[in-house]
Amino acid sequence: MRAIDLPPACGWLIGGEWRAHPGRLVVAVLAIAVGVALGFAVHLVNTAALSSFARAVGSVSGTADVQARSISPRGVDEALYPRLARIPGVATVSPVVELSGRLPPREAGMGGQRITVLGIDSLRAMAATPSLLGMPVGNSGRDLALTDGIYLSRAAMVAAGASPGKTVRIVAAGVARDLRVAGVLAGAGEEAMLGVLDIGEAQWRFGQLGRLQRFDIKLDEGADRDTVLARLEATLPAEAEIVRAEDEASRSASLSRAYRVNLGMLAMVALLTGGFLVFSAQSLSVARRGPQFALLRVLGMRPASLRALVLLEGAALGLVGATLGVAAGFGMAAGVLAILGGDLGGGYFRGGSVPLNFDPLAAAGFAALGLAVAVASSWWPAATAARAQPAVALKAGVEAGDPRDRWPAWPGAALLAGGGLAALAPPVFGLPLLGYAAMALLLAGGVVIMPWAARALFGPLRHLRWPLPVELALARLWGAPAAAAVALSGIVASTSLMVAMAVMVTSFRGSVDEWLGQLLPADVYIHVEGTEAGGLPRELQARLAAIPGVRSVAFVRQLPIKLSPDAPAVVLSGQPVRADPAAALPLIGATLPVPTGAVPVWVSEPMAWLNDIEAGDRITLPLVGPVFVAGIWRDYARQFGAVAMDEADFERLTGDTGKTEAAFTLDPGQDAAPVMRAVRAALPEGVREQTIIAEPRVMRVQALAIFDQSFMVTYALEVIAILIGLVGVATAFSAQTLARVREFGVMRHLGVQRAQIGWQLASEGAALGLLGALAGLSLGLVMAQVLIQVINPQSFHWTMETRLPWGLLTGLVTALVVAAAGTAVLAGRRALSGEAVLAVRDDW
Amino acid sequence: MRLLLLLALLLGTPLAAQDFTPVQPGRVMAFPADHGAHPDFRTEWWYATGWLTTAGGEKLGFQVTFFRSRVGDAAGNPSKFALKQVLFAHAALSDPKLGRLQHAQRIARAGFGLAEARTGDMALVLDDWSLRRGADGVMRTQVKGDGFALDLALAPSQPVLLQGRGGYSQKGPDPAEASHYYTMPQLKVSGRIVRAGKAEAVTGTAWLDREWSSTLLNPAATGWDWLGLNMDDGGALTLFRVRRKDGSALWAGGSYRSAKGELTVLAPADVRFVAARRWKSSRTGATYPVAPVVEVRLPGGVRRVPVTPLMDDQELDSRGGGGPVYWEGAVTVPGGRGYLEMTGYLTPLKM
Amino acid sequence: MATSSPPAARTPVLAVHGLAKSVGGARQLFAGLELSVAPGETVAIMGESGAGKSTLLNLLAGLDVADAGEVRVAGLALTGLDEAKRTALRRDRIGFVFQAFHVLPHLTLGQNVALPLLLKGAAPKEGLARAATLLAAVGLEGRAGDYPAVLSGGEMQRVAIARALVHAPMLLLADEPTGNLDPQIADKVLALLLGQARAQGAALVMVTHSARAAAQTDRVLQLAADGLHPVVLHHASD
Repeated sequence: MRAIDLPPACGWLIGGEWRAHPGRLVVAVLAIAVGVALGFAVHLVNTAALSSFARAVGSVSGTADVQARSISPRGVDEALYPRLARIPGVATVSPVVELSGRLPPREAGMGGQRITVLGIDSLRAMAATPSLLGMPVGNSGRDLALTDGIYLSRAAMVAAGASPGKTVRIVAAGVARDLRVAGVLAGAGEEAMLGVLDIGEAQWRFGQLGRLQRFDIKLDEGADRDTVLARLEATLPAEAEIVRAEDEASRSASLSRAYRVNLGMLAMVALLTGGFLVFSAQSLSVARRGPQFALLRVLGMRPASLRALVLLEGAALGLVGATLGVAAGFGMAAGVLAILGGDLGGGYFRGGSVPLNFDPLAAAGFAALGLAVAVASSWWPAATAARAQPAVALKAGVEAGDPRDRWPAWPGAALLAGGGLAALAPPVFGLPLLGYAAMALLLAGGVVIMPWAARALFGPLRHLRWPLPVELALARLWGAPAAAAVALSGIVASTSLMVAMAVMVTSFRGSVDEWLGQLLPADVYIHVEGTEAGGLPRELQARLAAIPGVRSVAFVRQLPIKLSPDAPAVVLSGQPVRADPAAALPLIGATLPVPTGAVPVWVSEPMAWLNDIEAGDRITLPLVGPVFVAGIWRDYARQFGAVAMDEADFERLTGDTGKTEAAFTLDPGQDAAPVMRAVRAALPEGVREQTIIAEPRVMRVQALAIFDQSFMVTYALEVIAILIGLVGVATAFSAQTLARVREFGVMRHLGVQRAQIGWQLASEGAALGLLGALAGLSLGLVMAQVLIQVINPQSFHWTMETRLPWGLLTGLVTALVVAAAGTAVLAGRRALSGEAVLAVRDDW
Repeated sequence: MRLLLLLALLLGTPLAAQDFTPVQPGRVMAFPADHGAHPDFRTEWWYATGWLTTAGGEKLGFQVTFFRSRVGDAAGNPSKFALKQVLFAHAALSDPKLGRLQHAQRIARAGFGLAEARTGDMALVLDDWSLRRGADGVMRTQVKGDGFALDLALAPSQPVLLQGRGGYSQKGPDPAEASHYYTMPQLKVSGRIVRAGKAEAVTGTAWLDREWSSTLLNPAATGWDWLGLNMDDGGALTLFRVRRKDGSALWAGGSYRSAKGELTVLAPADVRFVAARRWKSSRTGATYPVAPVVEVRLPGGVRRVPVTPLMDDQELDSRGGGGPVYWEGAVTVPGGRGYLEMTGYLTPLKM
Repeated sequence: MATSSPPAARTPVLAVHGLAKSVGGARQLFAGLELSVAPGETVAIMGESGAGKSTLLNLLAGLDVADAGEVRVAGLALTGLDEAKRTALRRDRIGFVFQAFHVLPHLTLGQNVALPLLLKGAAPKEGLARAATLLAAVGLEGRAGDYPAVLSGGEMQRVAIARALVHAPMLLLADEPTGNLDPQIADKVLALLLGQARAQGAALVMVTHSARAAAQTDRVLQLAADGLHPVVLHHASD
């Protein structure tokens, strides 16, 4: 007994059809395969990158149940340690000194690699984070004493060129220390850049006496997690926060989540385009086989069986496409990981190779999605097939419709309106899901309204005087708008998506470029890492300002602060702002006059968005107190937000005079290189190794390079979408042309010249291409606005100004018209070759 | 003899012998100061063992031990985390109903009030475990582990017993191989225990060994046996021997204090352990002479004392925590009861 | 040869009573049409172009709905049947032959012929075996694996005849079966059609405008606005 009720003889009928038209089958299969492959590849790459990132985080954290850490790198008072340890339900607290450091450079003149330096109490870590314990050389057991020396992870060992027993110079917290390499951190995994030494040594040698950055906490077995967490929260001071092991990974995930969702959705859109191509192919195939289906009906096949037959065809090509897509997606993911790295060029994950795992569940999911799209796209053609009136269809030709049938605008218009409404909706779960729904609705509406649009466009043209071939072409397009729409659905979908993406990316790139120019007006920048020790002290600031050739220096202090316990930290920066806010920050709009006595701050766009802050609001910031929001500025760098205040206010309110960044404006005509050398020389050892000195010119080029790299996948998707669209037009055209062989035969009998038919087809093609391009263009421009005004702000909490890539758009329209006309002529040549004239007698 | 120097195994110390205060004969014990810690010595322990009787009449054995080990001097390091002293504690309950030991342990570097061994009097804390001597001389200990907990008061009923020569107890042929060693036998126990989550009141008799030393075990030694017996008549018998690889005694000693308080210090020749019935652990494959016969030469002649364990399986496998495999359990002898410790029966102990 | 009357004793395969049909809601094709076809009887229906011959055939097959009247196939009134039952009736009882062969180009001859059997639920193997027998009977022995593209028009119609008969229908409906064929071939094909119908005991209703073809049947009727009228034909050879 069969599991499902297959229509009779379906194997023969489907097999026969596919043997006869393998090309059409291949296109439909490929369309689905490309969509599935893109979706699956994006998923695989992200899963691989995220799990690799989570592993890296896990190896540094040592997989404690709970982690409490200080928000600022300066750490918290170590007196917190016994207080946390005594909380009921806490089994072990392992105190940790955590510093960001640098290894010695492998070559002179190069920067050393970053390394996380941990000071641990091995006996506590043994219970809370055993993976952080090192293996001493020549001993089978773990070294719990950590009496002297540092244990390096394998990656750090390689990067430092170190080996156990040798000495390695570690720079952290502004000091350089020579430490004996005691052994390897076997539990740290292959990728982590990690060094572990005794906590007492770490406090002493790296100037962290009395300070701790982190507490790894193991809970009592059977303790109620939430209760204990609540007690921990209550005990922690404001400058520390609870980080659950799973949060760390999810925060890293949320960093790139919006980016991933965007890519994933783009892949889905490619799949949708594939769906339109399947629809187009199936519609044509059903139309062509109208008489066959009529015969089958006469012979006694039920309408339901006919519908099942067409759906089964869709499912079969969906299955083949999905299988191919999963295989191609895996290959694509492997290639992308090898070439671009785990972030698809997005810059969110750094370093290390990312192992790729085949995910059978996801593979099944994406295959099912491909299958569903193929079946859904066959739904309408299947219904058409089932509706076939056997007696009429057996007599009539392929197109039985009356040219005077009216094509209503309202279904398409309703979908477009629905898309417009969805675009106005707020984000769902912090994601612009309704924005994407808006895109899909607009796309569907655009395609559905095509017959009406074809009438609207070609109707007026028919009243003009044209040469005979053009006249014939217009009559045909006007008379059979559904056929035109079917041929165009793929190209309208892909063109509109490409236009939307291109406009968005152009707008984004332009805005980022402008932002970089506003943000980096100085000539030389320095950025100090390893601020556990407090950054650049006053006297060093004075020395830097006195370097010959330096006209002025703007010093910046950046501190992470938390606006609420469960929100990620935002960056508070003290810098010269008050004198000229518009010059200091890339402001959106004007800065407000500051009420007397109020402390003004300028809030970045993501922070304003995430915390519902507007200019003119009064808010309270940790460390600083009540402030007045004087303005909002554009920031594409810090997703969770940043807030700037004048350095004088900052120093007065926080008492912190150390600086972490400095922007040097040079004397006119002064070369940057000698100043950079002088700055480097002025920095003390320990600070020097952890300071990045750069020219904004170079930084800007690098930033834009990163930007372009991160959109490389997007560009690739666009090209693929447009290619699929063109292939779709080509197949639709050739199919329709071949189906009209009889029509051409009659025309030839009537004395129409072959060249005239060729011209008719070229005109039809060009007109259709033009229609498709115009429709795709207008739809794409609308969708671009959804991307720019809805999806980007909701995903990344930043805005941009629309910029149009005129050259690209013009080129696209031209290419489409030419390609459509060309395909039409090529298809026509095939149709008119050989015994086409005899086709009048042909029965199908 | 309680040289269970787990810490020396765990913690490779950078300190040399001369960094510690040496054990010297003639040092006069002073109380309560010697109840407290001696941080200048390499290692030190507070070792309580005993028999408990529940309200239902069940007989149980218990053991609570606190170790202090000096593992570094952190010269010049002002950090409060600077590694100097490490505390380790171990507790076990012998319950014949269960047929094996229940045990738990704690370890931490001293500091921050979380792990402290005070000087001046007995006051030890290690996370949620503690052992403190009150003003009335009664010692109270609280420990807990998975499925069991002890909360016991140990009240002295006799004066402190100084082992060896006035508390100087030799542990090997070299006079430097020695420890400062005193015992508080015949402690009256009262308190509560928790088994399988159920609390109940207990009474009993216990024994506390206090020992501190700066020397390590003789290199030829592979293990040792120790036996401490509270006799029903109020007497206290301490026996120990250090074994060579071939099982022969490298050193032996002990003491006998009669109910009337007459103390006999035993020389190596006065003590013999004769293996009788053996028990093989299916867990570790080690074979222990769990029911030895000890021969002790006392002023009244040689006494043969057959030892019977409360249960055969009182083996402890602490290899998971980096420690040794050993047997330590409650035993009875005709007219007395106490604790027997046997180490080095699986692999030689390295110290 | 004169037509003979149907044997009154047997239930007619096809019984039509008072049938009326108009097209486009205005033009009346015919009304009050009566017809009874006995098992095994062959009937030709002739008429002017546009008289509604094909429409009548569609009505007989249940492919079209009459304005009035009744069609009974094997005693079952088509008007009382729903679409699914009419489809089943066609599938089980009726075979079709068309002017434009309607042989599916992507199926082999065997598959084409076996198709009605499969639609009835037969297994492909069983269907192909019976199709081979039928193909042999129409003179295409051993060609079950060929595709229609290599066939001549006459051969194509032989395939169609085999297909019409493969499921042993009691009624064959043929719409100008020789209309697309050369006269000599038409004769052979017609002879084959009638021969096979008679061999299987199937009744045949054939619409044709060829007197020569009509003359081969048991009875010839002329379609007019007021129904069917018997016609006596003389053989073209007479």
